[in-house]
Amino acid sequence: MKIYDRVLDGLPGEKTLLLGNEAIARGFVEAAGGVAATYPGTPSSEVGDTLSEIAARGGFYFEISVNEKVALEVAYSAAISGIRSFAFMKHVGLNVAADALMSTAYSGVRAGMVVMTADDPSMFSSQNEQDNRHYAELSHLPMIEPSTPQEAKDYLIRAFEISEKLAMPVLFRTTTRVSHMRAPVVMGPKEDRLALMGTYPGHLAHVTLPSYSIKSRKALSMRISHAEVISQQTDLNRLEVYGDGEYGFITSGSAYNSLVDVIKSNSIGAEVLKVGMSNPIPENRIASFLMSHEYMFVVEELDPYLEQKVRVIAQREGIPALIHGKLDGTFPEEYEYSADVIEKALAAPLKLNIKPRTAPAVLQQIPPRPPALCPGCPHRATYYAVKRAVRMSGLNNVTYSSDIGCYSLGAYEPFEMADVLLEMGSSLGAGSGLGKLTDSRVVAFVGDSTFFHAGIPALINAVRTGSRMTLVVMDNSTTAMTGQQTNPGLAYDGMGNPSAQMSIEEIIRSTGVGSLETADPYDLKTFLPAVLRSLKSEGVSAVVARRECAILRDREIRKKGQMPVYVVDTKKCALCMNCVTNFSCPAIDIKGGQIAIDPDLCDGCGVCAEPMVCPFRAIVSGERNGI
Amino acid sequence: MEYNIIIAGVGGQGVVTLGSLIAEATMDAGLNVVMSEIHGLSQRGGSVSVDVRIGDVRSPITPDGSANLIIGLEGMEGFRMLGKANADTLLLVNSRRMTPVYLGIRGKEYPDLKEMAKAVGGTVRILFIDGENLAREAGSERAAGTALLGAALAMHEIPVSENNVNSALSRRFSGKILALNHKALDLGMRYGAQLLKGSNVPVPTGKP
Ligand code: SF4
Ligand code: SF4
Repeated sequence: MKIYDRVLDGLPGEKTLLLGNEAIARGFVEAAGGVAATYPGTPSSEVGDTLSEIAARGGFYFEISVNEKVALEVAYSAAISGIRSFAFMKHVGLNVAADALMSTAYSGVRAGMVVMTADDPSMFSSQNEQDNRHYAELSHLPMIEPSTPQEAKDYLIRAFEISEKLAMPVLFRTTTRVSHMRAPVVMGPKEDRLALMGTYPGHLAHVTLPSYSIKSRKALSMRISHAEVISQQTDLNRLEVYGDGEYGFITSGSAYNSLVDVIKSNSIGAEVLKVGMSNPIPENRIASFLMSHEYMFVVEELDPYLEQKVRVIAQREGIPALIHGKLDGTFPEEYEYSADVIEKALAAPLKLNIKPRTAPAVLQQIPPRPPALCPGCPHRATYYAVKRAVRMSGLNNVTYSSDIGCYSLGAYEPFEMADVLLEMGSSLGAGSGLGKLTDSRVVAFVGDSTFFHAGIPALINAVRTGSRMTLVVMDNSTTAMTGQQTNPGLAYDGMGNPSAQMSIEEIIRSTGVGSLETADPYDLKTFLPAVLRSLKSEGVSAVVARRECAILRDREIRKKGQMPVYVVDTKKCALCMNCVTNFSCPAIDIKGGQIAIDPDLCDGCGVCAEPMVCPFRAIVSGERNGI
Repeated sequence: MEYNIIIAGVGGQGVVTLGSLIAEATMDAGLNVVMSEIHGLSQRGGSVSVDVRIGDVRSPITPDGSANLIIGLEGMEGFRMLGKANADTLLLVNSRRMTPVYLGIRGKEYPDLKEMAKAVGGTVRILFIDGENLAREAGSERAAGTALLGAALAMHEIPVSENNVNSALSRRFSGKILALNHKALDLGMRYGAQLLKGSNVPVPTGKP
């Protein structure tokens, strides 16, 4: 059985090895959720990848929305119509959805609604490591935090229950190490309820006009105090004792896992209060916990969110416990907490006997290997051609404004074509400003999915303000970075059903840009002149660089049983090094003083064989020995 | 009991697949297991590693110096994990070499790993194994990870059995692919057993 089928069909009591995100999908199934909506983003994407596979058979609706805000609104619309709904996204996605989120607390819901935020301490795949627990405080919504895949599944169901008790959405926060941790999960029963059946009865609370919101605010206060009672009693907050329990620890999420490992391996006598409901926190329980320990450590990743609250409780109740956390410098303020980090921080206060270790010297000889565009990636050809075109155009004041996607990697060598990159859609927003307010000509790079997500309003702004910008839409016909999901430019939806397809060209044309071209970056001969023309145009101009993601193309040609490969004719190769230094496909390297193409890596795109990359025509189509 | 395995390689090499195969076999063996995976941007042709932690542990991140076994599906990526190794660690280095574009851009070639192993100076047990050829003998170099796992099973006290791995393979693959993975595991185990015994072990030829 495929893992997706196991998520859907697994019987109660069965133990399955699941990724945190797969366990969350299972939790949704067990809770008999009816509607799920998302915009893909690491580390949350596999929830959607799983739901997408099982939605049709599981009898629920799954949508990959145009962006996180719409995903949240779609889930909300279900929840006010009596359908259990789930919106999930990465932490910065919640910024996009925040406007809607804030008012849901006032509006309330009629069926369980859970909003998941997947935070990314240490920024494995993100532009920042913001701590989204603050959203719980800001929105007054309850927040639940699991530490393991098992808890991720179980707590999601609890989150739905709490949401229904309080008639308001519940936030559900994971981090990369929880979402991307794989561990055994014992399946539970599926709730016996109709997943999809809703009518919207209409209610004034759902209309957030000031005159209604002023009343809802009181109702919200009632819900919050009810939530405090729940937090006080729930076993989502639990106490664990190790050894003689001398030291007190308050922790949550992923930090809990690392902390317990440190406690055990150093035989620390500890009592651990694991906070699974982090908004509102169980104040009375924390107060009595503080009273029973002289030394208290608050171990949490990112901001001193719990610590500040704990300190307030201690001060208010006059409890003399010595509290250690980030605010007194015991624990670092940034990055994820591995056992190593926690052990180091506890070494001095607990007098742990830790052998100092030094990193082996050879590590310095190992060259870095940051992520790179795949062999055959169309973006490589696009960057290569745009860089040349800019040089040929004679423009000497070009600013590259980039965006979020695989193509962000254009910031690295050899292209180094990102001067500014903030968030989804910023290529066009920041580009609009730079092209208007500075003497630069802006070249903005945006992917198809990002264009739909947040690029369109910024494009409108750029055209209206008369910004000097050339927009390059890198349309690879997928949302590649997060795992090749669909987007509005494609003719199928999140469940694989046919859907309306948006034309990027029609949208751009309707804004009134100065010029618009579409070209295939694999065909450098026609692509480069198109970019050149576009650079010469006044105001905002656009080039749609259309060529599907190499991973999709691979799948197609593999199916057909052909897999072309390119080789270097060493007799013709003049060792000019252009292909390795300026084009830098990972399949091409230098071996024994010769250029060589690794047949296992080569994707057969043929771009390196173009005279613009290999002027000596030394790269030629070759034979592959067996696929 | 605690046993930590790290699989290191380059994004796209099947690092996560091999890790979860071991994790499944471990679960079959009735032991607790947690594993960290890498998804998203870092997967695109960059350094990737996953930890498979077996036994009484909670965090999926192996502490520095605590790896029992490191399998480098790509040569230098195995070495990159040395900070996690200690004097009892076994580092198996596959024969696959992938030059990072960082080197090509600077006109440099792949470093000599044998020299690097000398520089480590016996503080860690490092073995070079031609996993690619062992797997070719089984039918496809794509099963190199399985062959290396076989060698590791024969040489180190991984708390999973050959049977556990074989049944985890059966759940994952079928037909030809399954058969060649079974075979790669077996060839790897034999090879590992030979390495344990003696010095003059023939180098795998890659001929099926
Ligand atoms: S996944 Fe697709 S778009 Fe992303 S780098 Fe690879 S080929 Fe390019
Ligand atoms: S054909 Fe050339 S550019 Fe394309 S994948 Fe192969 S080596 Fe790379």
